[in-house]
Amino acid sequence: MEQVTSSLAPPRASTKPATSGPSSEGAGSVTKRLSNELMTLMMSSSPGISAFPKSDANLFEWIGTIEGPAGTIYAGLAFRIAISFPPNYPYVAPSIKFDTPCYHPNVDITSGAICLDILQDKWSAVYSVQTILISLQSLLGEPNNQSPLNADAAGLWKSPDAFKDQLMKHYRPLNDDSA
Amino acid sequence: MATNALRAQVAAKWQESFGRLNHGEPGISGLIALSEAWNLATDVLRPYNINSMSPPPVYSMDKVRAAFELINTCRRLPVLLEAFVDDLHKHQSWITDDVKEHMAQYEDTLRFQETSDPDIIQKLVYRLAEWYKAWAPMPELGHIVTSTYILTFQTHIFSILPPSFAKGIKSLVAATLEHTSSEPSSHLHPSIWPAFETLGLIERYENLIASVGYEHIESYVLDTCTEKWDEPMLGDLRDWMADRIVPWMIMPYARGATSADEARSMMQGVGSRFDFHMHKTLCDLRTKEIFDIIVDHPDSAGALQDLKECLQRVDQRAELVQSLRSANQRRLLHPGADTKDILAQYVSTIRCLRVIDPPGVLLFKVADPIRKYLRDRPDTIRCIVASLVGDEESGDSLVDDNEPIQPLQQPEVEDYTDPEWNPEPVDAGPEFRANKTSDIISTLVSIYDSKDLFIKELQVLLAQRLLIIKDGNYDKERRNIEILKIRFGEAALQVCEVMLRDMTDSRRIDQHVQSQKTSCVHPTIISQHFWPTLESSDISMPGQLKELQENYAKEFSTFKPDKRLRWLSHLGRVHLELELEDRKVEADVTPLEAAFIELFSEKDVWTLDELISRVGPINRNMASKALATWVDMGVLKEDEENIFRLLEIAEEPTSGSQAPIIRTAPPVEELPPVMSVQQQQAEQMKVYWKFIEGMLTNLGSLSLDRIQTMLKFAPGYDRTIDQLGSFMEGAKREGLVTFKDGMWKLGR
Repeated sequence: MEQVTSSLAPPRASTKPATSGPSSEGAGSVTKRLSNELMTLMMSSSPGISAFPKSDANLFEWIGTIEGPAGTIYAGLAFRIAISFPPNYPYVAPSIKFDTPCYHPNVDITSGAICLDILQDKWSAVYSVQTILISLQSLLGEPNNQSPLNADAAGLWKSPDAFKDQLMKHYRPLNDDSA
Repeated sequence: MATNALRAQVAAKWQESFGRLNHGEPGISGLIALSEAWNLATDVLRPYNINSMSPPPVYSMDKVRAAFELINTCRRLPVLLEAFVDDLHKHQSWITDDVKEHMAQYEDTLRFQETSDPDIIQKLVYRLAEWYKAWAPMPELGHIVTSTYILTFQTHIFSILPPSFAKGIKSLVAATLEHTSSEPSSHLHPSIWPAFETLGLIERYENLIASVGYEHIESYVLDTCTEKWDEPMLGDLRDWMADRIVPWMIMPYARGATSADEARSMMQGVGSRFDFHMHKTLCDLRTKEIFDIIVDHPDSAGALQDLKECLQRVDQRAELVQSLRSANQRRLLHPGADTKDILAQYVSTIRCLRVIDPPGVLLFKVADPIRKYLRDRPDTIRCIVASLVGDEESGDSLVDDNEPIQPLQQPEVEDYTDPEWNPEPVDAGPEFRANKTSDIISTLVSIYDSKDLFIKELQVLLAQRLLIIKDGNYDKERRNIEILKIRFGEAALQVCEVMLRDMTDSRRIDQHVQSQKTSCVHPTIISQHFWPTLESSDISMPGQLKELQENYAKEFSTFKPDKRLRWLSHLGRVHLELELEDRKVEADVTPLEAAFIELFSEKDVWTLDELISRVGPINRNMASKALATWVDMGVLKEDEENIFRLLEIAEEPTSGSQAPIIRTAPPVEELPPVMSVQQQQAEQMKVYWKFIEGMLTNLGSLSLDRIQTMLKFAPGYDRTIDQLGSFMEGAKREGLVTFKDGMWKLGR
């Protein structure tokens, strides 16, 4: 009898922290902040940017969509990004990477890592998902060729036709069913 | 070949038989005596035709008895009986003919008249009784003879009587009943019952006689009680039973009773059956009528009293529930019925079934479908709330004014320490909750799970009513709010309280502002957060109207520096005096109409589009309607389509042109555009749609379940998956989403 109950109890206890994810203290306020951000993002109708939590169980993993701004070489393309919030968000910047391969001077074509100052040393707690998404969207049109992650792309930036060729070679259109 | 022995045996038998017949008399004198006795006996027993003129010979009783004695001693009685039965059989044809004749006559009358004439049957019965009497052996002959006779006679009669005789006897019995119940009529002889008895007809047709009784009771009950609901009928019916039915019952059922007590005990069984039948008939009738009885409430109190008593005698509660439920389904719970009527009928049902069944089991069973149906109706809450605040338009209020105002009752836990506690009635369903004395309002409010919906609707209603009031007399609304506070509690009505205070505050502020600088603007200042959402509109007032607004706002901000006025320009009324070249026009119009006519002071001719562009984003229909008001007043004229000209000089209606179309002169006062709860819900759904759009953009296609769970990120989301489903269907119709293989996807 005792064995049965004792064997039942521990797994239940051990699974709990795993599902709740980030450390329990402060998690409440972080989720609150995140759901507020979600609400603001949903209600603001900024064209071409959007993000939503991946599943209803975890508010810390989001998927975002950025459409290339009109008038830039990325116009008409849509890129999916993965956003992962740290447990001590917003004191630490979320980690963001492109899921859709993005040929861009400041984006690593294979890993999708992004080189953007506000995501690294310039991060501030007043930024939000929305500001990040807007920054990323504008980054597409105005790359920072001073500190390229993708030197080829930085080099080709001046010749739009060749750049576009490369971009389209790597680009994969969004597949809705993949998510 | 007979042997000697055999011969000897036969001879011995012969001797023995002879000895018995001769009973030891010398010679054959004994034999002769027996022969005479036999002849006499058979003569006595022989049936004779009562149709023949000659009366039967009369025999001396002593001789006959002696003859039978003799036959008996010679052990010839069985043979005699056999001969008698044979004789009976031989002459039965006489009776058969008689019966045939009568029945033929009877069937003839049946054929030609609708009603069967019991007279012929009565004659036949008497005739048969005569035959019976004529042929009956003397009772002195012992019961064997008598019983053999009865058996043979009845067997024969029953075998020859045609099936139509049953019908005849039924009408005959019914006639005897009418005979007792109406004035005694001469043609029916009371001795018919003894005749029935003699012929054994009572036993044979017992069921039939009883059914006559039942039918009679039934038709009487239906005749007297149908649609007579104003007073209890049971007392009268009982009297009638005692006066009419019981005397009749004595004849078939208590025949041969020597004393009243004996008669009573003999009739007990059948009497209670008849009594039961009377109750059952009334119960059936009232069950059938229950819906109309409830409609007639409270004028049908008598019928309810009857029904209550009947139900105690006859267990037909389930039938009552069934009948009422199906009547409700058929006559009440369909789209054609007004919600107000359904509510009124529901309230009546509550009242009526409380009379019939105080514990409320019946009510619970009947009310369930009504409540479910009401829950689905969009305007139920509005109707209930309107009756709560005693809306005059709604005519008679659902609530009895005499009912004391009391707080809403919450379903309470049963108090087992209560000495009055009773277990739930046996036929109560598992979900039955004893709602002991809860008042009508509590019952109505409990249709919905929470009273919040009512509070919300109440706010909307209050807002509408407050905005219509022009004379600043809010006493009635205040009274209503106080009453509702008792019902719903102080906290729930705080918002309403704020709304009321806004109204009085507005007047006070206005007085102050006016004292600083008189203005003809008298705004109602409301606190946005406490009022239901008002329909918004972005019209801006032109010209002097705008000036007036701005001046007022300036004064206001000096008075209340921390507050800012946001005008809802499209609400309210404007009283205008137009100075035209030849005339003055006074008008009380809507702000939009005022704005338009103000624009005409700039120039005389405007196109519709120009006007709209100056006022702000408004619906073209509304604009045309507003201009039409001025056209009706003869201030504007629509020269060409959508081009309007100010008539500085009034135009006489030219004789050739058609007479001015008379429109309903004072525009129907519309309710202030306060958003109803439904509209507010639709507004909320817009928020949720943003979320749905967001998740579908980023996560691709999702199932309905998934959308529902993901929507928990939206604050305050409380829709069921069904509601979401129908919302998504709506979105699909608008082409916003597509649906394939159980997955929803954004339509692009």
